[in-house]
Amino acid sequence: MVKFLKLYEKIGIFIFFVAGGIFLSIASPHFLEGDTILNVIAQGTYGAIVGFGMTLAITLGGFDLSVDAVMALTSVFISILIPHMGMILAVFFSLIIASCVGLVNGFIITKLRVNPLITTLAMMTIIRGVALLVTGGRQIVIQKKEFMFLGTGKILGVPNPIYIMIVLFVIFYFILYHTAFGRHISAVGSNENAARISGLKVDFIKIAVFVLVSFTAGVAGTIRTSQALIGIPTMSPGFVLVAITVTILGGTSLSGGRGNLWGTLFAGVFVSMIYYGLNLLGVQIYYQMLSVGLVLIFALFVDGMRTRYLEKIKVKGIKV
Amino acid sequence: MVRKAGIGAKIAGRWDSYGLPALFVVLFLVFSILSPTFRTSFNFISNLRFTSFIGIGSIGMAFCIMNGDFDISVGSMLALVGVLGSSLLPLVGGVPAVFFALVIASFLGFVNGIFITKLRIPAFITTLGTMFIFRSLAFIYTDNAPVYISNKFWLFMGNGKVLGIPFAIIIMLLCYCAAFVLLRKTPFGRFVIAVGTNREAARLSGINVERVKVLVFTIVGFFVGVASVVISANLGSANPGMLGQGYEFQVITAVVLGGTALGGGDGNLWGAFFAAMIITFLKNGLGLEQVNSYWQFVAVGLVLIFAVSMNRIKYTVLGQKEV
Repeated sequence: MVKFLKLYEKIGIFIFFVAGGIFLSIASPHFLEGDTILNVIAQGTYGAIVGFGMTLAITLGGFDLSVDAVMALTSVFISILIPHMGMILAVFFSLIIASCVGLVNGFIITKLRVNPLITTLAMMTIIRGVALLVTGGRQIVIQKKEFMFLGTGKILGVPNPIYIMIVLFVIFYFILYHTAFGRHISAVGSNENAARISGLKVDFIKIAVFVLVSFTAGVAGTIRTSQALIGIPTMSPGFVLVAITVTILGGTSLSGGRGNLWGTLFAGVFVSMIYYGLNLLGVQIYYQMLSVGLVLIFALFVDGMRTRYLEKIKVKGIKV
Repeated sequence: MVRKAGIGAKIAGRWDSYGLPALFVVLFLVFSILSPTFRTSFNFISNLRFTSFIGIGSIGMAFCIMNGDFDISVGSMLALVGVLGSSLLPLVGGVPAVFFALVIASFLGFVNGIFITKLRIPAFITTLGTMFIFRSLAFIYTDNAPVYISNKFWLFMGNGKVLGIPFAIIIMLLCYCAAFVLLRKTPFGRFVIAVGTNREAARLSGINVERVKVLVFTIVGFFVGVASVVISANLGSANPGMLGQGYEFQVITAVVLGGTALGGGDGNLWGAFFAAMIITFLKNGLGLEQVNSYWQFVAVGLVLIFAVSMNRIKYTVLGQKEV
């Protein structure tokens, strides 16, 4: 059982992924065409990208509920800044603003010592309010058509968001598994006090992780803005659910300390496959939210079971 | 251990008893001076009615937070109960529909509780899942069309008056009294606090922790049901998208501002009531001052962070359990 659970933690999502792929290719003759597959992957990029950040946060033992508001804020700032400073600088500054939200989150969590859930819940409302205030509640149309290339263009036949996702994946993979900083994140997530006592700068690590989460949310917001060509202050409400679902479904444990970025990547695409399947069924859009909620509960159930079994085994081991 | 209380501890210790009412009075005076509309008795009464919206939901959340958990599905639950209950009105009539609404709400809370205890999933993340499940069920059930309410009895719950006092206020006060008795005069109330203070100790002293938790989430559901009836009655319709949007946030803010510590343990029921009043009057005052309504999002968010930091300082100074 332990072996099975450990195996599940590593490759569980791949099984879902393959099963989903086989099911969809039987259900729809068009699924196995190259364009469809690339589109499904491209649709999964936002979930995966924000999921990368969320994976770090959950590995650290925290959450960030403010990601969807940060996406909206990024979208609004890009649309405002583009006429003034051009595309590249506008995206650059908007991403900095997004990261600053993470900085504020981190400061409130570490310096005021407010629970991360409550902090980011409050920041979700505050940032959403700021995004609405900045635009006066309106949507802002972006006049520069070239900006669309970022989110809808293709290089060598592959949609650009997929490249962005892969680049971010490589960066985050490197950060989490191949740097001291990444190991410190896991250490803080496994046992914060132990990490503090062994001299890690816990506060700095936490702040940095929350900055990274907000940064990924900013990138996802940028891609969405580019596709819509509108700055939307009410962008993607409830996207945080997708981000957290993707992370936990991917095998990152809620109890902290163990992040699984490969899992997050595939889970992001898997959620997009669910959407594709629901589209085939022709059901209303509300079923998307329902299905993601149910998948989250399922993923949590498996995670809880795993944690419980591992604890049991530990206790037994001590007795023997 | 006898310890001489410093001045900081004295202030911190009295914050809940005097600080909140004082804050309310200051807020009330400031807005009364600024706005002639604010100081009318009509405005005062209608604000009290709006207080009941947050106030009733805060009761359940207070139990939940004292128990050491959160429930962020309350806003969506409010919408689902609202549309289900009010769609029953033409079929069964007013009194049974209200009854069924409360039963449905309690059941939804019960389901949350079962998920959390039997599947051993942390409450916060479970209710994040059910938050979206409840909301999408409300959309699917109504096909995103509001349910209009014409039943007199249901409408009376939100708009009626008894001896000139809005019925919603009377309901709220009754709920608070019932909750006070439940929390302070029954073994169950002590169990809730015991589990919140130290779950393991509570379990070892023979308290059925899981049953207490399930009951707490059922109570959350019940009070959300009451709030749902009152709010939808006041609006005259149940809209699956609008009803209860951001409700979880206001309710948690009220409870925390009311002095209940986030980590669980003892809390302050009447503090939640005063905090609900402060939030409602603050929003009304800002609205009357023509402040952009989006500032209200920002204001309530800042109030929440302020409240948690305040609690933290209080408990640190008093040398009690960390928040």
